Amino acid sequence: MDGGCSASSPSELGNAQATSDGGGGASKFLANLPSRGNFSSTVLSSNLGGTRVYICHRNTAPPDDQIIRTNQTNILIRSLMLMKQKGDSGSKDGKGAAASSQGSRKRAAEKALDGKAAGKKALSSTQHGSSQELQSLTVEKLRALLRDKGLSATGRKDELIARLRGANG
Amino acid sequence: MSIWNYVVTAHKPTNVTHSCVGNFTGPQELNLIVAKCTRIEIHLLSPQGLQPMLDVPIYGRIATLELFRPHGETQDLLFIATERYKFCVLQWDAETGEVITRAMGDVSDRIGRPTDNGQIGIVDPDCRLIGLHLYDGLFKVIPFDNKGQLKEAFNIRLEELQVLDIKFLYGCPKPTIVVLYQDNKDARHVKTYEVALKDKDFVEGPWSQNNLDNGADLLIPVPPPLCGVLIIGEETIVYCSASTFKAIPIRPSITRAYGRVDADGSRYLLGDHNGLLHLLVITHEKEKVTGLKIELLGETSIASSISYLDNAVVFVGSSYGDSQLIKLNLQPDAKGSYVEVLERYVNLGPIVDFCVVDLERQGQGQVVTCSGAYKDGSLRIVRNGIGINEQASVELQGIKGMWSLRSATDDPYDTFLVVSFISETRILAMNIEDELEEIEIEGFCSDIETLFCHDAAYDQLVQVTSSTVRLVSSTTRELRNEWFAPEGYSINVATANVTQVLLATGGGHLIYLEIGDGVLTEVKHTQLEYDISCLDINPIGDNQNCSQLAAVGMWTDISVRIFSLPDMNLITKEHLGGEIIPRSVLLCSFEGISYLLCALGDGHLLNFVLNTSNGELTDRKKVSLGTQPITLRTFSSKNTTHVFAASDRPTVIYSSNKKLLYSNVNLKEVSHMCPFNTAAFPDSLAIAKEGELTIGTIDDIQKLHIRSIPLGEHARRICHQEQTRTFAICSLKYNQSAADDSEMHFVRLLDDQTFEFISTYPLDQFECGCSVLSCSFSDDTNVYYCVGTAYVMPEENEPTKGRILVFAVEDGKLQLIAEKETKGAVYSLNAFNGKLLAAINQKIQLYKWMPRDDATHELQSECGHHGHILALYVQTRGDFIVVGDLMKSISLLIYKHEEGAIEERARDYNANWMSAVEILDDDIYLGAENNFNLFTVRKNSEGATDEERGRLEVVGEYHLGEFVNRFRHGSLVMRLPDSDVGQIPTVIFGTVNGVIGVIASLPHEQYVFLEKLQMNLRKVIKGVGGLSHEQWRSFYNEKKTVDAKNFLDGDLIESFLDLSRNRMEEISKAMSIPVDELMKRVEELTRLH
Repeated sequence: MDGGCSASSPSELGNAQATSDGGGGASKFLANLPSRGNFSSTVLSSNLGGTRVYICHRNTAPPDDQIIRTNQTNILIRSLMLMKQKGDSGSKDGKGAAASSQGSRKRAAEKALDGKAAGKKALSSTQHGSSQELQSLTVEKLRALLRDKGLSATGRKDELIARLRGANG
Repeated sequence: MSIWNYVVTAHKPTNVTHSCVGNFTGPQELNLIVAKCTRIEIHLLSPQGLQPMLDVPIYGRIATLELFRPHGETQDLLFIATERYKFCVLQWDAETGEVITRAMGDVSDRIGRPTDNGQIGIVDPDCRLIGLHLYDGLFKVIPFDNKGQLKEAFNIRLEELQVLDIKFLYGCPKPTIVVLYQDNKDARHVKTYEVALKDKDFVEGPWSQNNLDNGADLLIPVPPPLCGVLIIGEETIVYCSASTFKAIPIRPSITRAYGRVDADGSRYLLGDHNGLLHLLVITHEKEKVTGLKIELLGETSIASSISYLDNAVVFVGSSYGDSQLIKLNLQPDAKGSYVEVLERYVNLGPIVDFCVVDLERQGQGQVVTCSGAYKDGSLRIVRNGIGINEQASVELQGIKGMWSLRSATDDPYDTFLVVSFISETRILAMNIEDELEEIEIEGFCSDIETLFCHDAAYDQLVQVTSSTVRLVSSTTRELRNEWFAPEGYSINVATANVTQVLLATGGGHLIYLEIGDGVLTEVKHTQLEYDISCLDINPIGDNQNCSQLAAVGMWTDISVRIFSLPDMNLITKEHLGGEIIPRSVLLCSFEGISYLLCALGDGHLLNFVLNTSNGELTDRKKVSLGTQPITLRTFSSKNTTHVFAASDRPTVIYSSNKKLLYSNVNLKEVSHMCPFNTAAFPDSLAIAKEGELTIGTIDDIQKLHIRSIPLGEHARRICHQEQTRTFAICSLKYNQSAADDSEMHFVRLLDDQTFEFISTYPLDQFECGCSVLSCSFSDDTNVYYCVGTAYVMPEENEPTKGRILVFAVEDGKLQLIAEKETKGAVYSLNAFNGKLLAAINQKIQLYKWMPRDDATHELQSECGHHGHILALYVQTRGDFIVVGDLMKSISLLIYKHEEGAIEERARDYNANWMSAVEILDDDIYLGAENNFNLFTVRKNSEGATDEERGRLEVVGEYHLGEFVNRFRHGSLVMRLPDSDVGQIPTVIFGTVNGVIGVIASLPHEQYVFLEKLQMNLRKVIKGVGGLSHEQWRSFYNEKKTVDAKNFLDGDLIESFLDLSRNRMEEISKAMSIPVDELMKRVEELTRLH
């Protein structure tokens, strides 16, 4: 496609220079600039009042579902899953349902793949609800869960569990 | 100084990084939104011009900014992503006037290499998704659902690693991006991809285009009906779509910014690296593109963003010069330019260097910056306080009072200036030649001191003397009526407005008169228990001619009282406390709020909010303006009323954000002031000072004043020399006319008053100035300018040759006295023990100034120190040398006199890439690094082991969010010896975004107090877009993120004063400190800058 550029350049270079050297060439292109009635006053004022410095003292946090996180699935794993799904989709009837619930179910599955521990699989499908379940986890795993939720991952195990439960409840 | 530092902005960022236009604040309101790195400004377009609305601080450096409109919305939403990988979607709530966060999130990934070419954030024109390119090889998608809500984000692998630009294409059934990238052979191509939201993957797009212009780096998507994309290169512009390919050659230029003119995308404005503005036109027949045309329109500042506003008016945002509002004229002017500059918005960025000087020798620092770049380079003189531009002055001793009068009630201008002396009154007037001459008003008593004068209704004038009140016709100038003070009493103080006179005589008598047509009527007389010290009946109610309230200041019980008029009932009595009597009271109204100002004999000012209906006084505040009695007067400038407080430290009191602000006037001592608005000198003030009467106009009422000295070239280093009253700068000029872009470097000498070039020393080819210093040497009384240079050869990675040039200023000329060749770039020069300390590439080198046989001198190398990557920034104190290295943070060296050697004493082992260093005190050093952080390190002389002593301990860390180029000790404000703030040492810094900031070292007790206040403020003042202040200020680089310590955010703390009273009380309760006390302490801090 380079050819396209260079083939046209010699003649057009001449043209471009001719128009811009000629002067006044832009006038015809500057006609009918869009206008919606602003800047229509003959004398434009440069002093239309001062700016207010905005101080935000309301809670600005959006609703929880609008705090956006990134899907943590490894891209490679996702593409493998995609290929697998495409293989499975020979039986097409199930696909619609799968798509609708894909969000939650897939996420659970992905997490399982993401984490190396097999024990995490069961946990991620339930909502890490009971404290017994949490108690049975190692501190490392609790920290990982907290980080996933964007919470602080410092403190003793009891604190970690309490924080996790707070976030879940 | 100390490790407890307070960082505050004196001049906000002015570098415009992004701008866009849309209906943000309402479906019918068209807004211009301007991003200035860490702030967003919202303007409203109106028939009269651009109206500023809101200045929104953002807790992040804005990386991308875009307006978009989801389906079903009537107004646009604002998408912002910050450099620290946060994003938010903002919506304006017109009802509450609040910015609502619709959505937010963290878009960082744990792995991934940040992109080299900047972050990209784009919104699909059909609002199906937001696309982000933050890491090489990854494209992040935040999809919208059909209700316009955002869903979970995901990454897609992008094969192209060196991405230059990504845009969404218009008019595609599936969201489609077009990617401009460079392959590993440095050829550039574009490629399209469809985003398959369901599969979370890319699908090969409808077309691609290989081997484009080697300088192509900008894509412009073209909206329907044409669709497709424009690819802007350095030598060609290409229009590309699935079916069409059109190209035109252009003059070689780098396009920095574009703005779309028409909704159908047929015309675009392009701004290039030389500040030339072009119009790009897509010619088309119906929906088929037939060609491209490009026309030069004219010159603007070098644009970083272009937004077509309306009606041929365009906003040109600039990083290198002032931003502009321009109009595109249909016909070219005499120079062939279609561009007319309507307005310029000052931009100090990038501040490459600056110095702090006291040019007027008033004890107040001014900052002179090297601002701007390329052709838009300039010097800016930044000073605090309001200046008076003197227009005329006469010598007049012993002025006791001044008033201006009009020749008719409805005359818009003043004619007479009444000047009162101890035993006479003289009247000056403007004659036909616009000269002030003395005249007479027959009806006035001129052989006695005048206590007060005012215009009165029915074309009359009022004069109050110690015995009478005289009513005089302003047309015939004859006496019409006279009121005599009661026998045995003389009038002490008096005041008047258009229809009323209030006066007080000895013995506490208060007498109220009303002015009629030729009559003065005594309406009311009361006696107070003490003598009266001052009075005011300035009308602040609905009636401009008549006041419902009178303010009275009292001797003996030191109170101020509010009386109702005309019945003179006492409404309010406020004891001022202390033993200093009120010397001047004033009723005034700012931004719809009424105040009572009360000035005391010791230079303090009390202000109260006044409820005009019941006379109640609330929100008492006390500030110290000077040390002598203050006289208060109102005046107006640009249709706004302000108050002038005349004293030994004259001050203008004005209101902004419904908050009273005090700005000092750059005059030494003013005894009286009165507005004198004449036809010849509109909006002028008459000022009595030190035996002189001056007529002058006043600067714009704002805190910082900036004077621009455009240079037309890029100043990179500056230095002031007190003895010769000159500045020396190192500058470079780009030669655009030459076939190849060449640049020339100079050392220039400027007069420090006129800022004219008075002498120039051109540097050699390839030689550029790296440092400049004014110094003197031991055993030589002369002062010299020393300039360090480097020969920057195109084939070398690092300079291997440089020079140190020593100049003397003789008869206003730069005379080269000595020169010394060096083996590298002289990055820094310091005066050191009567010698010259130079940082040359990786080495620190000390030079002696040695006399030669022929009475001349030469620089002789004494000793040096190796061991740096590049020693870029050096500061010295005594025998200590602090070095800021390119990438090895700060190290401390010491010069040993006996051995004549420089040794390393300690270093900070972190790998900080430095951008500036400064020595705060013997043990504490301040550094700024290239991830926009500040930090302090401390010398550990008491360490037990050598290892401990050899380590500089990091004691303070803070994310400033600004790239600091220079620190300098100094202050922007006059230091009043009597205030606490006067004792606080400060450092000023200048940044790439044009920020001038102040770092103040606080006593520990105050630091702890303010830290607590900051913690409480964080709970009350929320970050716009849900961004957290704590996270924003945490020290952040590739290796670590840690909470800020030993630095406080003064901008947050000072915004306490902008809070509503309720919020203040909330904080005061949490701190268990009264609101007034809190306010006083924060207000004191605002006087640091």
